[in-house]
Amino acid sequence: MIMKDSAATLDNEWRCAQSSIGHVDYGGGVIVRRVLLGGAAVVLGGVAVVALTGTILNRAGATPGTLRATVNGTAQTSQGVLPHAFLDLATYPDSMAGPHGSSGGAHPDWVTYGPVSNFSVPAHSLVTITIKQYDSGEKITNPYFAKVHGTVGGTVTVDGKTETQTDPDLIGHTFTIHGAPTNQDPLFVSVPLPAVADDAPTAPGSDYPAPHVVTFDIITGGPGEYIWNCEYPCGDGYYAKFGGPMATQGYMSGTFNVV
Amino acid sequence: MLSATSERSRRPEFRQIFWLWLGMTVLLVLFSLWVPARLMGPPASQTMRDVEETMTVFSVAASPVAALVWSVAAYSLLRWRDRSGGQPAEDGVPLRGNSVVTLSWVTVSSLLCVFLLIWGLAEMTTTNASAEATNPLVVDVTGQQWVWTFTYPDQGNVESDQLYLPLNRPVVFRVTSEDVIHSFWVVQMGIKVDANPGTVTKTSVRPDKLGVFDVRCAELCGLRHADMETSAHVVSPADFNGWITQNGGHV
Repeated sequence: MIMKDSAATLDNEWRCAQSSIGHVDYGGGVIVRRVLLGGAAVVLGGVAVVALTGTILNRAGATPGTLRATVNGTAQTSQGVLPHAFLDLATYPDSMAGPHGSSGGAHPDWVTYGPVSNFSVPAHSLVTITIKQYDSGEKITNPYFAKVHGTVGGTVTVDGKTETQTDPDLIGHTFTIHGAPTNQDPLFVSVPLPAVADDAPTAPGSDYPAPHVVTFDIITGGPGEYIWNCEYPCGDGYYAKFGGPMATQGYMSGTFNVV
Repeated sequence: MLSATSERSRRPEFRQIFWLWLGMTVLLVLFSLWVPARLMGPPASQTMRDVEETMTVFSVAASPVAALVWSVAAYSLLRWRDRSGGQPAEDGVPLRGNSVVTLSWVTVSSLLCVFLLIWGLAEMTTTNASAEATNPLVVDVTGQQWVWTFTYPDQGNVESDQLYLPLNRPVVFRVTSEDVIHSFWVVQMGIKVDANPGTVTKTSVRPDKLGVFDVRCAELCGLRHADMETSAHVVSPADFNGWITQNGGHV
């Protein structure tokens, strides 16, 4: 008897629910419009928030300026006569002399490339890159990057001496260009930069010891967007030394655009 | 328990949901047969074909389940919406005690899960078996921010930033990392394994198609993760030997 009453009550509730749905005028058009407008507002609001956040992050992470290679005449190469461009860079043991200002910016003790970390070179050209390496170093974890890859002749000159590799136990940094193998011409270059001795005296008129001067040539293909970074773990104080300056744009990583 | 009257009143809705479910199932099955297996490009190994077959089978098996959830959800949103504009009513009448529905749902779900488990284990066994093939080419793979390097220990430790493989020879990859966790993924060959610092993980494949394929990092690894890509060149055995010799190694 109790179950029968209960079933009847439930059935009544069900009927009431069905009835209320079927006969009351709810102004459906208004609700639909409200839902559509509300949905559109939510979508547009979301897009605006994402766009604003992206813009702020992009500006916050942007590095100052791009260094364009200077073209000076032409040069005879294995690919014929090509425009000859020059790019002068440096690596520092701190951020006092690079792109972060004399105060060193947010991380004055981080190692950094200079004068900036974004570079632009002409397409189908011989590019001579000179790097003054002021920093000390230790053993590199992957000896592949103690060897020279991708330069003209597979060599570099270090303080005027031609080399194909550097002692893997005394690497200061590397300059390694690479990029996703998209439709652009492949460009993989890796040059080890030998370490300055820990006890090297400060050079007269400088805050740093006399640098190693590393010079090498590369031949660019067509236009493309590449990146470069250091493959020597120089982010002291961070996990596996690959954090900090190694993982932050504007220090040991940047763009290398062929235009 | 609902009365016979209320059961009858629900039947038209069940029919509509059924047809909605059937339509969605057909669409999802067609989608499953065509799309998932084509997302990663033409396969370059039997492993990749097995992966694509598995993706297709799993997608087809999941189609009726997904269609049921989506059709009930869609029907509920469209037809059982509270249109009063005011405070919605309390929850509807709870449906309990329908042992047929419960039993059917549990049985079908269990059968599907067991089927997928057996299929997956069988596929994994097949993939692992290729690692035990005779005379495999061993390649040491090292990931670091944000490049891959490849070393051929049995060919005089030839090193390269791009992967070169001979056609139709089993390859065993010994994968590690210099820094954080990366994931070594040869897209069109259907292999992917984590590259962990301080340890070596293995995977294997037998490339059976000439061409240039994609090697990517599949584990978010920092600033330039999106650029951590290189190429895998599958060449003839003669060309592979020539490449090894050209790079100072021996065959």
